[in-house]
Amino acid sequence: MPEDKSQRVTINFEFRRQLDGIVGGDHHNYCYQCGACVAQCPAAQYNDSFNPRAILLDTLLGREDVLLTKDSPIWLCTNCYSCYERCPQDVRPIEIIVALKNLAVAKGVAPEAVATMTENITRAGVAGLITPAVQRIRERLGLEPLGEYPVEEMLKLLED
Amino acid sequence: MRLAPFYGCMIPIKYPQMEAAFRRTMPNLGVELVDLDGFTCCPDPIFFKTKGVLDWVTVAARNLCVAEENGIDLVTLCSGCTATLKEARFLLAEDESLKDRVNERLRKIGKEYKGTVKVEHAVVVIRDELGVEKLKESIVRPLTDLKVAIHYGCHLLKPSQIMHVDDADYPSILENLIRAIGATPVGHDRTLLCCGKGCMDDDMPTEMVFDIFTSIRDSGADVMGLICPTCFSSFDLGQIMVGRKKDTEFGIPVIYYFQLLGLAQGLAPEDIGLNLHKVKADKVLARLGAGTEAPPPAA
Repeated sequence: MPEDKSQRVTINFEFRRQLDGIVGGDHHNYCYQCGACVAQCPAAQYNDSFNPRAILLDTLLGREDVLLTKDSPIWLCTNCYSCYERCPQDVRPIEIIVALKNLAVAKGVAPEAVATMTENITRAGVAGLITPAVQRIRERLGLEPLGEYPVEEMLKLLED
Repeated sequence: MRLAPFYGCMIPIKYPQMEAAFRRTMPNLGVELVDLDGFTCCPDPIFFKTKGVLDWVTVAARNLCVAEENGIDLVTLCSGCTATLKEARFLLAEDESLKDRVNERLRKIGKEYKGTVKVEHAVVVIRDELGVEKLKESIVRPLTDLKVAIHYGCHLLKPSQIMHVDDADYPSILENLIRAIGATPVGHDRTLLCCGKGCMDDDMPTEMVFDIFTSIRDSGADVMGLICPTCFSSFDLGQIMVGRKKDTEFGIPVIYYFQLLGLAQGLAPEDIGLNLHKVKADKVLARLGAGTEAPPPAA
């Protein structure tokens, strides 16, 4: 019988090795596609295009073209950790999704909110702006005014 | 008992009423709060972690080092801070090579992470360290007949492998702490649903908030009680925004647990900043005899 070439699957191991290099990304190898992660996933309940098992399958195949895009399903994850709670294989699917997001950020295809929020933190040491209005509300509540945060020290840690 | 509060960003900047409530209620339970200098953002477990997990763990480890240098355990008020600091602690204990990499970075600022301090959310400290009896002793105005729909939020409980707080499917910690202040926890269909804030999409969180508040409205609860400022932002202003989109008005006040505790300990609503909430709790407060109006003159 001739080989049915349409059934051939190519696995991009190079992409998977890249994922292994991210903290928490290496557990994707443990996934046996049982789907326990889907049952309690709120994002899957609310949006048909989100399915953590399918994301893991694409990951196992190394489908970078599907996973690392601006409209990739990874951005729909609510970060609720239900999949981590459920997974019998310790895949920690949420951590795989976060590791994929790290690669997407490096590739320049993340939503703008990621850069905006992280820049806030690296500029001031905290998320959120400490305005005079904030200080006035604190004063009215009998709280001390907020001071400076050790930004310089934090930035030194971020230099690789 | 001495503990160092880790206030994070959202609470001191966006919702300082939560900080005020915490600072005014915890000493009544026999806790000495020791403010430490030198913390930064935990950093946030959604965006900062999305940018780079190693950076996220490293900055979290630096915050833990600050507590280690002072030899004092941390108490957190925000579920996000709790998630970040406890997960960082877990990862650094689990993976020796990660700890080495992080410490290599920390050396640049003269710090070393050792793993010697504990981190717990304040409600866990109350349950496990102080005890519900101690909580009951501090109550002067039990919130009798107040029906509270509890919202757990995700990061207090999950993953239980890291958080070690409660059964993630059948939790009871908040129900017990609500009962201890004289109020009545009210179950509803969406008690454990995520608030949706971590999702980088607009439609999904809207539907989640709508379903949560429809479920609470059906339950007959007076207020929603919660422990996380991120959930609070989804629900206080959030229910108004969602109500506009869906042409409905929920009008269900959202109250942080330590504000409820403050009311039960006899604090005035302004002392715990209830006046700052978008959805006002005035009706509920009047019924509890804790209205914002001046008390009637003595006879």
